[in-house]
Amino acid sequence: MQDAVLMSPVAFAHALRKPVSGEVNGMETALSFAAADVEATRNETLSICDVSNLNRFGVKGPQSAAWLQAAGVTLPEGTNSWTPQDNGSLVMRLGNSEFLVEDQPENSLCQTLNDTAVETAGVHKVIRNDAAFIVSGKLTSALFSEVCEIDLEGGALEDNRLVMTVIAGVSATMLKQSLNNQPVYRIWCDGTFGPYLWKTLLGIIEEQGGGPVGFNFYYEIN
Amino acid sequence: MKLLECPVNGVRPLSEFTYGGEYRDMPDPDTCSDKEWAAYVHYRAGAPGLKKEWWYHGPSGTWFIAERNTLTDKVSRTYIAGQEESK
Amino acid sequence: MTSRIAKKRGEWINRDKPLTFEYEGQQVQGYEGDTISSALWANGIRVLGRSFKYHRARGLLSFANHDVNALMTDGEDTNIRADVWPVSNGMQLAAVNTEGGVLKDKNKYIDHLSPFLPVGFYYKTFYKPKRLFPFWEDKIRKAAGLGKVNFNYPRIIKPKRYAHCDVLIIGAGAAGLSAAINAAAEGFNVILVDENRQAGGSLSYDHAGEQAAADTLNTLLEAVEAEKNIRLITDAYAGGYYGDHLVPIVEKSGITKVRAQTVIVAAGVFEQPPVFRYNDLPGVMLGSATQRLVHRYAVKPFDKGVVVTANDHGYRTALDLASVGTEVVAVIDMRADGASQELTQKVKDKGIAVHKGSCIYEAVPTKGKLGVKEVVVCPYNETTAEADTSRSVRLVCDGVAMSAGWAPAGALLYQAGTKMRYDNDLEQFVPGELPEGVFAAGKVNGVFDLKARLQDGRRAAGEAMNYLGKAVSVDTVKPVSMARPSHPYPIVNHPKGKNFVDFDEDIQVKDFINAAKEGFDNIELMKRFTTVGMGPSQGKHSNMNAIRILARIRQLPVEKIGTTTARPFFHPTPIGHLGGRGFHPHRYTAMHQWHVDNGGEMMDAGIWLRPAFYAPQGSGLTASEAVQQETLAVRNAVGMIDGSTLGKIEVFGPDAAAFLERFYTGKFVDQKVGGSRIAMLLDEAGVMVDDGVAVRMADEQFYVSTNSSNAATVYREMQRNVQLWGMQVTLVNLTGAMAAMTVAGPESRSVVATLTDIDVSAEAMPDGAFRSGQVAGVDARVMRVSFVADLAFEIHVPYKAGLHVWKSLIEAGQSAGIRPFGTDAQRLLRLEMGHHLVSHDTDGLTNPFEAHSDSLVKMDKPFFIGKRSLQILAKKPLGKKLTTFVLEPGFNGELPQECNLVIDAGNNITGRVTSISFSRHLNRHIGFAFVPPEQSSAGSGFQIRTDSGAMVAATACEAPFFHLLESKGE
Repeated sequence: MQDAVLMSPVAFAHALRKPVSGEVNGMETALSFAAADVEATRNETLSICDVSNLNRFGVKGPQSAAWLQAAGVTLPEGTNSWTPQDNGSLVMRLGNSEFLVEDQPENSLCQTLNDTAVETAGVHKVIRNDAAFIVSGKLTSALFSEVCEIDLEGGALEDNRLVMTVIAGVSATMLKQSLNNQPVYRIWCDGTFGPYLWKTLLGIIEEQGGGPVGFNFYYEIN
Repeated sequence: MKLLECPVNGVRPLSEFTYGGEYRDMPDPDTCSDKEWAAYVHYRAGAPGLKKEWWYHGPSGTWFIAERNTLTDKVSRTYIAGQEESK
Repeated sequence: MTSRIAKKRGEWINRDKPLTFEYEGQQVQGYEGDTISSALWANGIRVLGRSFKYHRARGLLSFANHDVNALMTDGEDTNIRADVWPVSNGMQLAAVNTEGGVLKDKNKYIDHLSPFLPVGFYYKTFYKPKRLFPFWEDKIRKAAGLGKVNFNYPRIIKPKRYAHCDVLIIGAGAAGLSAAINAAAEGFNVILVDENRQAGGSLSYDHAGEQAAADTLNTLLEAVEAEKNIRLITDAYAGGYYGDHLVPIVEKSGITKVRAQTVIVAAGVFEQPPVFRYNDLPGVMLGSATQRLVHRYAVKPFDKGVVVTANDHGYRTALDLASVGTEVVAVIDMRADGASQELTQKVKDKGIAVHKGSCIYEAVPTKGKLGVKEVVVCPYNETTAEADTSRSVRLVCDGVAMSAGWAPAGALLYQAGTKMRYDNDLEQFVPGELPEGVFAAGKVNGVFDLKARLQDGRRAAGEAMNYLGKAVSVDTVKPVSMARPSHPYPIVNHPKGKNFVDFDEDIQVKDFINAAKEGFDNIELMKRFTTVGMGPSQGKHSNMNAIRILARIRQLPVEKIGTTTARPFFHPTPIGHLGGRGFHPHRYTAMHQWHVDNGGEMMDAGIWLRPAFYAPQGSGLTASEAVQQETLAVRNAVGMIDGSTLGKIEVFGPDAAAFLERFYTGKFVDQKVGGSRIAMLLDEAGVMVDDGVAVRMADEQFYVSTNSSNAATVYREMQRNVQLWGMQVTLVNLTGAMAAMTVAGPESRSVVATLTDIDVSAEAMPDGAFRSGQVAGVDARVMRVSFVADLAFEIHVPYKAGLHVWKSLIEAGQSAGIRPFGTDAQRLLRLEMGHHLVSHDTDGLTNPFEAHSDSLVKMDKPFFIGKRSLQILAKKPLGKKLTTFVLEPGFNGELPQECNLVIDAGNNITGRVTSISFSRHLNRHIGFAFVPPEQSSAGSGFQIRTDSGAMVAATACEAPFFHLLESKGE
């Protein structure tokens, strides 16, 4: 493991708000933006959290499903769906033959998969640079009605379905899960769009009376 | 704004798609005449009717064929090229 | 004087909240819930504006958002519609189209000139003599348009929202409410929209002096309230219909685009005025307008009035007026047969006289034409539209209520593609053939009886649910026998005119006759010549009468005349709404913040932000100085550029090499692992699209770069061809996932060597070589390149490590004098190297033969995109060639610009400049130009014409340009 400090794609977009920062998974991350009670109030209304630092593993190719299964990963059944692993890691099936695995901070599934050499034809590792956000609060529908053209509440994200759509003009992958017993929306986009998407979503979130919350809001890291 | 059905991702607004031109069978470059080739490259039939068109769903990177009546703007079916029968 | 009456059941004003505002300098009292017009009318103020063309005094007309003669300004906003805009405390209002106040408007003299201003006057008059046109143009432009634009208007970003529903119902009147309740009861998600502040439609005002309608409305509203599946949006209009049931709903706060599964249009009808002389005086208004005043705002429309009607609605209006103490002198019924015995008797019981077969021949104005003094009533001949003036009666009154018929609010139905037909029993256009998933209910569907409207709403909801796949039974609505709601020709001729058809544009009956005489006798032509329906109300109260007049002129049935096209938006919509919040995504490289912190002048480069050059604060560097310094740093020592914007695509699979051979012009099957090759892409016509580099990382893995601007398109085309050709290839777009930087210049090797375990020596790593290894402790892909300098290393690392590696290289290069350089210096550097840029130096017609790229085209391959076209092109002589050129040493004249033309001795255009720059390193002006092939060989001279027309001599020369230094002996 190199000692380089990696950067969240949205790190510089955070800087204006002077978060308490720390290193998670070797990546400089905003741990909190305000006192816990302030963040909790924001979260109740509408909040956004940068979780780009979570470890990820990408794989693509006609044999990738079989390869993952052989590595002991539980796969989602259909196209464009996701399933949690027993340890909380998420496995997303993007279309049919591409997968994205994302760990919880304490997991190391992605590390293990990254370290596993691929000897199988038709399996290709994908270097990821996602910007990843958690959006939650009672006004999520007000936010999404402004930035997304499709109906996210009409069952599109139910039953562990994931959606690849356009959010505020940017291609993104979305799913809805329960995190800390709270329904949350997860959004991933190409990291180079991360600062733009963060600023755009945060602008609308603040208009709605919400705000940013730090990584510690969802994950206990010190 | 119209809707279009991506064979993989379902019905989406047209803003998620890029038009890829009419699907046309390429003449065999080894046997066709220069004139036939030039016609293939440069001529387009503008008359309205049922056309096969290339469409691309951006967020997922999916190319597919839509059979669209350009007179009524009705899409009768969409499928991945080469998987026409499975749809 | 106040016309406010006792509290009405269901009134929209809040008497607990009185407020004060100013109108034309006068203090006015009103209540919360009043509109500007209702408050003014309650205070006895009758002149609410001046007409557009003749500056005639005008009052109320529709009271339904179409009173375009009562437009106000509050100093900030203009053209505020007084009939619907709510009053607020302290507002300062003035009418818009006046000079010197609405009562004393200095422009009212124009009314007296009206006989000299026939329709088409402007078209015919001011075009000659030509020299005077600018004078007249200035006058006409000042007279044209309403209101003054406030250029200091604050910028307010209005949201544009999306919403989704099963059933969208437009219009919350009896039919719409009924449809909503029935659809929601079956579990469907309903959005119900109405342009009024409260739901109810005509149920909220058309009471005929009784309580039944209000009772029905209460029942319906309670049902809607109780139904969680209904989202009721009031004070908002459906602006248009777009494909697959997308309807923008315009609220004051912004637009919501509703995507519905099915749409029910229950938008009702617009009341139509009869046409008689001086039907525009303040105090003459539609019957429904008087009812709205009475029931919504508790304002008595006038003290002593008459009702002129051509249907039963006039009788209902008379009963509503009588119920609030207006003395109704008479109901003047244009129909020879009048109303039913029962209805007539009801009116007569209130002491109101009924004149059957009569019309108002003219209204007589008070002094200054500011109101009504009396009306002249005559027998009316329905066939000839003539009044029998020999038997006229004068009735003294201060107001006239008009009810001649209705026109459907069918704009959205038309836009959706409904074929409308003219119903001869109703004398109204009604839906004939509806498009899939679109339904109509209520008056717009030709159903007028209240019970039938409720049924029709249920019927439409049933059909909509069937369309959505739910089997519910659908009852047909039995036709109810009733009097004809609309009159076929409610128009009274008058020799002195001023019988207005269109109040927006002051168009009279004779204008139509004249237009037809001039040959404009098609409805679309007539519209444009007379401008009927082209004002702010878009003909909502004039088109139907215009069609009837034209039908009579041409002696054709109304159906044969047709209607003008109804386009979105249905109602004028503020630009700020249409603009709304827009999304303009930008991409940022991993090193973005470093560039900003170090003086990078960030520019849009396609969707990316890139530094054009670096001018750190306090450096005092001009742009051109910064670019030259950055360039010299690369030539003399070392520089580094952020190249993360390059397209980067991984091509995997057993067919990877074969795929690239079909896709690009070069050969890849025999390429060695660890080597790179130019990847030039053509289109099917053989035109150059992109040039990148393909690295073979393994037998079945290539790493391909593309030009920054083509990253998305090249990847997309690869994906398409993998599918089309059915090859075993997996593509991964790493454009965003990999940061890239190029370290260039004679010292670049020593700088890179300090940070990497790769052997970067000249022997181990020749130009074009590719190696994987570590750079600054990060897994990296490193390539020897020579695009900007003979010695350069392109380093690719994962995005999240990009900044770290960049900073490490900057630090490692300090002693060598490393400078970051931007895109401007990169352009100059590659020009010095003699490298053209595809789609900058080439265009949409350039083939490889014209751009010295023959060697990259492997014509002996069985197939590649564009090959067949090149075979054809190869047989033809070249028309132009891209060449490098220099200007004379020490040139200091007007510098040619990109796109300046190459001109031959005969003054013909033979080419153009595609790039030009001064190189301090070479001390010469150098560039690329397209020239005729015979002028493209080194030493050939040609002339470039500058912007000012000066001719500049240029000489074709060999690239790279560095031989210029040798010839100078440096």
